[in-house]
Amino acid sequence: MAFATTLQRLNPLAPARARFQRWWQSRLPLADTLRLTQRNVYILPTAPGWMLAATLLVLLVASINYQLNLGYLLTFLLAGCAAVGMHVAHATLRGIDLKLVAPDAQFAGTSTVLTVQLSSERRTPRRGIGLALLGTDHWTWTDVPALGSATVHVAFAPATRGLHRVPAITAETRFPLGTFRVWCYWRPAAQVMVYPKPEAHPPPLPPGEPKSGGAGTGHAQSSGEFDGVRGYRRGDPLKLVVWKKFAKAGELVSRDSPQTQQHVLWLDFAQAGSASVEQRLSRLCAWVLQADQLGLDFGLRLPGAEIAPGGGAAHQRRCLEALALC
Amino acid sequence: MLKAPRSGLSSSARLSTLPREGRDTLFLLLVVAWVLLPQIGNLPLWCSLFAAGLLLARGWLAWTSGPLPSRWWMAGLLAVTLAATWATHRTLLGRDAGVTLIVVLLALKTLELRARRDAFVIFFLGFFTMLTNFFFSQSLLTAAAMLVALLGLLTALVNAHMPVGKPPLAEAARTAGWMALLGAPVMLVLFMLFPRMAPLWGIPSDGMTGRSGLSGTMQVGTMASLALDDSIALRVRFEGAPPPQDTLYFRGPVLSQFDGREWRAQYAGFGFENPREANLQVSGPPVRYEVTLEPNNRPWLLLLDAAPSPPQLPAQQTGRVFMTPDLQWMASRPLTDLTRYRAESYPDFRHGPERQSLRLQAYVDLPAGFNPRTLQLAADLRRDPRYANADAAAFVAAALEKLRTGGYSYTLEPGVYGRDTADVFWFDNKAGFCEHIASAFVVLMRALDIPARIVTGYQGGDINSVDGFWTVRQSDAHAWAEVWQAGRGWVRVDPTGAVSPGRIGSLARLQAPAGVFATAIGTVNPTLAANLRAAWEALNNRWNQWVLNYTQTRQLDLLKRLGLDVAGWEDLVRAIGVLLALLGAAGVGWMLWERRQHDPWLRLLAQAQARLRQAGVEVPAATPPRQMAALLARHFDAEADDRTAAVRDWLLQLEAQRYAPAASPERRAGLARLRRVFQQLAWPGS
Repeated sequence: MAFATTLQRLNPLAPARARFQRWWQSRLPLADTLRLTQRNVYILPTAPGWMLAATLLVLLVASINYQLNLGYLLTFLLAGCAAVGMHVAHATLRGIDLKLVAPDAQFAGTSTVLTVQLSSERRTPRRGIGLALLGTDHWTWTDVPALGSATVHVAFAPATRGLHRVPAITAETRFPLGTFRVWCYWRPAAQVMVYPKPEAHPPPLPPGEPKSGGAGTGHAQSSGEFDGVRGYRRGDPLKLVVWKKFAKAGELVSRDSPQTQQHVLWLDFAQAGSASVEQRLSRLCAWVLQADQLGLDFGLRLPGAEIAPGGGAAHQRRCLEALALC
Repeated sequence: MLKAPRSGLSSSARLSTLPREGRDTLFLLLVVAWVLLPQIGNLPLWCSLFAAGLLLARGWLAWTSGPLPSRWWMAGLLAVTLAATWATHRTLLGRDAGVTLIVVLLALKTLELRARRDAFVIFFLGFFTMLTNFFFSQSLLTAAAMLVALLGLLTALVNAHMPVGKPPLAEAARTAGWMALLGAPVMLVLFMLFPRMAPLWGIPSDGMTGRSGLSGTMQVGTMASLALDDSIALRVRFEGAPPPQDTLYFRGPVLSQFDGREWRAQYAGFGFENPREANLQVSGPPVRYEVTLEPNNRPWLLLLDAAPSPPQLPAQQTGRVFMTPDLQWMASRPLTDLTRYRAESYPDFRHGPERQSLRLQAYVDLPAGFNPRTLQLAADLRRDPRYANADAAAFVAAALEKLRTGGYSYTLEPGVYGRDTADVFWFDNKAGFCEHIASAFVVLMRALDIPARIVTGYQGGDINSVDGFWTVRQSDAHAWAEVWQAGRGWVRVDPTGAVSPGRIGSLARLQAPAGVFATAIGTVNPTLAANLRAAWEALNNRWNQWVLNYTQTRQLDLLKRLGLDVAGWEDLVRAIGVLLALLGAAGVGWMLWERRQHDPWLRLLAQAQARLRQAGVEVPAATPPRQMAALLARHFDAEADDRTAAVRDWLLQLEAQRYAPAASPERRAGLARLRRVFQQLAWPGS
């Protein structure tokens, strides 16, 4: 395998070929559904196909040389089967409708799946159809039942954050004889949002900041009225900790008072460590997840963007998208 | 249940729980075994056993899901194979060595199924091994067996390309069957039209070993094996009434040189002899007939006695055709193929010199020191006062009389003949089959100074009641004598007839030992057996005529009858092109038809959409009927316009047709009605 790739690299035509392929792929229309027709299904013989051709030639020469009429029959029947096999192979892909199920947003570095639905209006099942991302070799094989549909999951692992177009997908079949490869290219129009990779072991959340413009911030803490309890937050005074709860359940819980709500958690790009931009974003991402898990309201400050404090799934998604697109 | 010890599982249960890979491998092994099975008789014993052992070992590994042997094992086995092949054939090239090697390689390769490529190698080697079967037999039975083998290999190949789950083999078999069925027209076109060429290079000399037939020499005793060979030598179809069976003498090599042990032909068949020496004169009406001769790897064309004009046959197959001075017809090339020719023979004929000549001296030569008692017998006859003035005819009659009355008998097991074969026959054993009798007779004639020679060939044959063809078998091989008589030339004398009248011209010939099955049928119902055999042979003959003997002449004939005037291979190639294009067009038609197979409801919906767009309503793709109705209502005023209301109703009916419960009247009304209504709808806005 390594040898083969080395060979490929040495091939003087390889760059031109790669450029041609890029140009070719960029010409493909973007669509989330694709009907495979005569126009976008390609077919070429495979290496075993050439082997079969060579076998047929040898059979023919042997038949001629030994004057075997039965040999001619065998050769021609095999050739006929191979020709029919070509049509069967092409018909296996032709007429399939490919539909991409809109992909969910995800985190960089994690592997996820693209869900593709293949539906067939043919009255016989279609066998041995493989799907893979263009340029990879991880095939997922499926059969499409007669007058039905099949769902295929293609693994997809985006490396960087941002809004990515779903990579080009190729479908292929070698059914029935393996002598022909029938394939198609498909560039789905859908885009997938990729959030930064959350840091594995992030430091604890930053302390809350006093709500800007809030009156009487300093003394309100000692009013002694409590609304309820909430998860311990760094910086909470020890007297607010409900020690009884800690003794029972082993988790730190603070008494919540209206005063504490005067504090707002801001996740700030500037305070997310001093490492590179990506690492900061990755920490912010981890914090966003953590804060959301704890049910805290939080705001996000990014260079050139600020998201007002809030909570809930929609808020979280907004924040993560902001991180992704930052 | 799965954890039960394996011994507790019956083998059928094991078969159904076998992992897919094991099941597929077992099936492939079965197919490979089927491909190799017909070869067993033609292979060296070690090769058959070795291949069987390898397949069994591989089958065991598949059954128990055991690991495959290492590459070192494979290399070792390969080396052993090559050595054994070399030891058997003294070469690794040539046909027989090649077949041996291919068979073993195919069996060996099953032990190495690591990658897809290995499987493909097995498939393609399998196809080639199927062809090697045809070196030995091209019979109908072989063809049927190989058709099954081809379907098996295709099934395995299709199954290998169903990567999902464990699909039943029957489904792959169905696909393979369909492919073969659809591929058959291509096969027919190519078979009928592919230009038949001469061999591209010389056929290796071992091309025809193992085929029995007449031989160019006669060593007393060799005919025993021929008499037991029930295979077919030739078939004849007479135009008009066939001559009586006892006059059917098909002439083969004429043996006139005797060294005491072996009879040899005087003419080797180079074609330089002068056929006028034969001095053939024919009279009476001719017998016209057509012979289909099985390949005999000899240049002999077997014709009825006596044919003055050459048989008509394709020249490229046999080269030049000529007659030797002793009336035998020969081709300049050995007949390695089924050959068909038409000929004319005259049962009433004379040949040979009419007067005593020096040339005839060769026909009274006897080796010195052999058969002293026969020589003594001849001398006694000459001295016998009864034969004082006897001519050749009288001595022939005397000899035949002696054969008839002297207690001589016909047998296929004459026992061991010593050095003086004629003596042993005349005085000791007094039993033998045609070649002993003919040889002893000719020796006696020569001892009497009468020119005599042995003619070998076939005598008799039986008619097939189904298609009227006469079948002549190797067991009809015969040896008779020709004696020269002054004023008459060579005269046929069949001394075997004197010993055993039944041997000549009767259906009750000596039967070869029949197989168990044939015996069983024969004892239950002899006529049924005969009829079955006749039907089978008629079928086989049809096969020979149409498939095996499909030569260029037949090819051109057939096309001429179809109205195509074809002159050479260029026309054939053109015809192939045209027919394949027609087949391709048929394929396209089929594809279009297949496209029509798509859901008719969706098609109707698409038509309605297109019609609405024409009417000016903007309909996005994939709009269901109800939404289309809503769009329509927004665009036109449904209450004000009857036409709009009708279209809306129609769209709702279309929806109901698709989604209403199966038993509802909307569903049962059917699409056809909706389609009819669609045609008649008046569209708003138009």
